[in-house]
Amino acid sequence: MLYRHLRNELWKLFGKKRTYIGFGAFVLVQSGMLLMFRFGRVRAEMERTLAGNGYLAREYISTLTVALIMLIPQVALLMPLYAALVGGDMVAKEAEDGTLRMILSRPISRFSLLLVKWFAGVIFAALLVIVLGGTALALARIWFPWKGMFVSWPGIGFNVLSAATGFKLYLWSISFMALNASVAVGIAFMFSCFNMKPAAATILALSVLFISMVLENIPFFEPYKEWFPTYHFHTWIRIYSQPTPWDAVTQTLCILLAMNLTTFLVGAAAFQARDIKS
Amino acid sequence: MIQLKNLYKQFGARMAVDDLTLQVPPGEIYGLLGHNGAGKSTAIGMMLGQVWPTSGEVRICGHDVTAHRRLALQKVGAIFESPAFYDYLSGRRNLEILSSYTAATPRQRIQEVMDWVGLSGREDTKVRTYSHGMRARLALAQALLPHPELLILDEPSDGLDPEGIHEMRQTILRLHRELGLTILLSSHLLNEVEQLCSRIAVLNQGRMVFEGPLTATKQGEQWVRLKVGDFSAALGHLRAAQLIQGERDGKFIALQPEVGTDQVVKLLVERGMPVYEIACEEQRLEDFYLELMNGAREVKEANG
Repeated sequence: MLYRHLRNELWKLFGKKRTYIGFGAFVLVQSGMLLMFRFGRVRAEMERTLAGNGYLAREYISTLTVALIMLIPQVALLMPLYAALVGGDMVAKEAEDGTLRMILSRPISRFSLLLVKWFAGVIFAALLVIVLGGTALALARIWFPWKGMFVSWPGIGFNVLSAATGFKLYLWSISFMALNASVAVGIAFMFSCFNMKPAAATILALSVLFISMVLENIPFFEPYKEWFPTYHFHTWIRIYSQPTPWDAVTQTLCILLAMNLTTFLVGAAAFQARDIKS
Repeated sequence: MIQLKNLYKQFGARMAVDDLTLQVPPGEIYGLLGHNGAGKSTAIGMMLGQVWPTSGEVRICGHDVTAHRRLALQKVGAIFESPAFYDYLSGRRNLEILSSYTAATPRQRIQEVMDWVGLSGREDTKVRTYSHGMRARLALAQALLPHPELLILDEPSDGLDPEGIHEMRQTILRLHRELGLTILLSSHLLNEVEQLCSRIAVLNQGRMVFEGPLTATKQGEQWVRLKVGDFSAALGHLRAAQLIQGERDGKFIALQPEVGTDQVVKLLVERGMPVYEIACEEQRLEDFYLELMNGAREVKEANG
């Protein structure tokens, strides 16, 4: 039965044009990033950095390196926005349109309904990130060879990796990005379970993420940074540290999963208590 | 089929449903009447487990909706005013989605119901292209899919044109006749209720002010429409003969008990007054409803 309901939710989600427009927008931005890297100054600066550290630039300006660079602004800006938009719509839009009332005149429990909606949100988040990661690789492969990977990021330092290790870590980072996206969907989903407009749920979720990001970067809050969700969102890039800090990664994994569970339970409690009226 | 017992629902300081107790027996077309905001939709929301009662009991098909929602709604279909669908999906896909929340529905059954409501040929068209009437028919189709025994219709004719209202009325009667469904119809279209329902409950500000068979609403004063050359002269003759007890609007007379229209005609003809038309005027539900509402208003005013 859950399978049938999950299929319904996916039909609804992927029946909307907006879903594809969002995916299309991501691919467009990625293409723009690729062109900027191919013809802009970033590439030359990167080549200088590599050469300055004694590496051959042509060995590390590769598909994997460029794909990762293309993902950074998307993961930081576009993905939370889009995930919050979809998560904010999941319950509140149906309540606003009146379809929720049609569903709840059927013998289905509110908890089951929410559970399948949340699963659909998680599937969407994972799919979004897989598509992003895949198209970034495919687009980067057009101009750049499949060679070693170069990653430089504040906090993880300067790392060069073989193509095999780089690809393995790239797949790991995609999984963490999917988890980040599911948390963003989850926060918006939680607000969407309360009696509010879909836009309000999205804005509230984005506000939570934005405030977390701002506070996390204020020196005063340095000792408390692990309390902010966005701090754990950086794990997708932290895994490129050498050696990979798997204990910290596992801790983050547990925290993000717990955050997902918490937002779901808070949303479910609010949804269970409210009256559904036209 | 439906049992409400001492049902209350409070939204903040406002009492939306105030001590509502009613029973809808199987096989009945039961009308729930009341002005906008009288508490009809809230009562229906509580019947469908969408609105939590503040206190009281709601039983549908013998099951408590609050405790056993799944069992209670297994054989229930519902339609709301301005039915909402996933406009970007086809009619068929909408039915597949909505019916699956009750049970898996074979494609053949969906086709059968679409044929029944007259949507054949438009199954695979997106709902956003449907007219208001077609949406109403699709709403009916989704309500019929789980083979319901009880249909709850909340303002089903809302927003329909006269032809659509007529069609909806005929469909409801057909459903009752052919499938033997119990139907709860909430409406403020008194004419519709009068033509469809066998029993009604009237709500006013959350309280039930009347419950009973429709025939009970027609047992007031019996008025007779009389068309003669000179109405006032005719009244004089009838009063002198003590055949009538009242008149109104310059065309209606109220007969004394045991007096028939034949006696009126006989007297007037004997007095040389031609009678062009005489007919008993049945009390309409509208008159009964307005009397009820005026009575309730007077009581409220008297209580300050």
